[in-house]
Amino acid sequence: MSNPWIAIGALAVVAIVIPVSMIVVSSLIRPSVPEQGKTAVYESGEIPTGDTRIRFNIQYYMIALLFVIFDIETVLIFPWTVIYSDAVSQFGMGSALLPMLIFIGVLGIGLVWAWRNGAVRWIGSDRARETTGGA
Amino acid sequence: MTFTETISSLLPISGPIADFIGGAVASLLIISFLMSLVAVSGIWGKRKITAAFTDRIAVNRHGPFGLLIIVADAVRLLSKELIVPDGVDRPAWDLGPLVMTSSALLGFAVIPMGDLFGLNLQIADPQAGLAYVFATASIASVGLVMAGYSSNNKYSMLGGLRAVAQNLAYEIPLVVTGVSVVLFAGSLQLSEIVAAQGETLVSLGGVAIPSWYAFVNPFAFILFMIANLAEVGRNPFDVPEAPTEIVAGWQTEYSSVYFVLCYLSEFIHIFLGGAIIATIFLGGPAGPFLPGFVWMVIKILGVYLFTQWCRSAIPRVRIDQLIEIGWKGLLELSFANLVLTAVIVGLL
Repeated sequence: MSNPWIAIGALAVVAIVIPVSMIVVSSLIRPSVPEQGKTAVYESGEIPTGDTRIRFNIQYYMIALLFVIFDIETVLIFPWTVIYSDAVSQFGMGSALLPMLIFIGVLGIGLVWAWRNGAVRWIGSDRARETTGGA
Repeated sequence: MTFTETISSLLPISGPIADFIGGAVASLLIISFLMSLVAVSGIWGKRKITAAFTDRIAVNRHGPFGLLIIVADAVRLLSKELIVPDGVDRPAWDLGPLVMTSSALLGFAVIPMGDLFGLNLQIADPQAGLAYVFATASIASVGLVMAGYSSNNKYSMLGGLRAVAQNLAYEIPLVVTGVSVVLFAGSLQLSEIVAAQGETLVSLGGVAIPSWYAFVNPFAFILFMIANLAEVGRNPFDVPEAPTEIVAGWQTEYSSVYFVLCYLSEFIHIFLGGAIIATIFLGGPAGPFLPGFVWMVIKILGVYLFTQWCRSAIPRVRIDQLIEIGWKGLLELSFANLVLTAVIVGLL
């Protein structure tokens, strides 16, 4: 039984080499005809206005913070699911399930709190709220 | 014995180097197969399916059933001029499509593709297989953000930000629903999850129904299918691209070979999603009469057909609705599913 991660590493190398070789082949056969105006960014045919890299309202930043917490929680659930059926037959259902129920319950209460405080929603801009009467 | 071990045992040498060569040859074969599957279903099949849904004929002039359009399109797209727009953030703009394509291919390292002529076509079978496959499937959103932010285009940036919002909303329901099958199987190793689904659930009139987790727990299956549609970004959850709102989203500024890579990565991602669904809910390569590999491809293409069906039939949700569906609906349902499954497994 060889180490499976060697084969996965080999696949990673192949998975990078194939797209790179496609880029190389394409660079050999494609034409290059630089013309004025061709390199302008696409804005539906208009002349581009303003800068793209402006300060932008990320309307889901609270959700992103919540996501980090829940993401770590799923990592902690993974090992529990693996040993669960063995644990039930060895120690009984109560001691296998109850700690995880408490753990999920604490997070559930946290989610309800965040929900009631309005964290789990798309935060509309002031202008959108004026025009549509709330977002 | 995995595909890698079969090939490396043919080599005159042994040890890590032989394993590496075996793995490289095995992955070259599997990836070539995937590329041709993408070529057939992405260039030709997609047009035919969409045409069938919208009562058209689509390509029919190039060879039988228009199949030679695959060759024509591949050559055409690769030989297009690459237009680099003003002010793009160069290393990130080049790396974005590469990250998306490579990460989507990475997931196939652990997928049990089934038997063909006595060969087991699984490249590697690590114990943490399911965790690994979920991890690789979500790397693609890093590529989406790189592409979206570095393109110096307002549509691209909106597309990249929407891709993040979508991932935040659907990653947790997807993973939590996915691990609920581990409660039955008791292992993250994909070959063992497949083996655990081989037992007979019930016998109906002499026909043994296998205990595929889609039959054992249809609720989890439906949840996973919905979350997977969002993961691969197809209707009703195609907000990162949203052709009628933001042109093409994060891929607006990509042309030539980079466009090919973006397109390729999307399809390989759909196939990876299909392969995960087939492995953990549809018994992997199991099926009567035909070789396992053929069944696996049929199941993957079945999921692909489902995504194309949704693409033609279901309207897109708004981005704020998507956040609400994800966090106020699917998340709660997926945890309810996990707890219910745990109770059922505990009582049985």
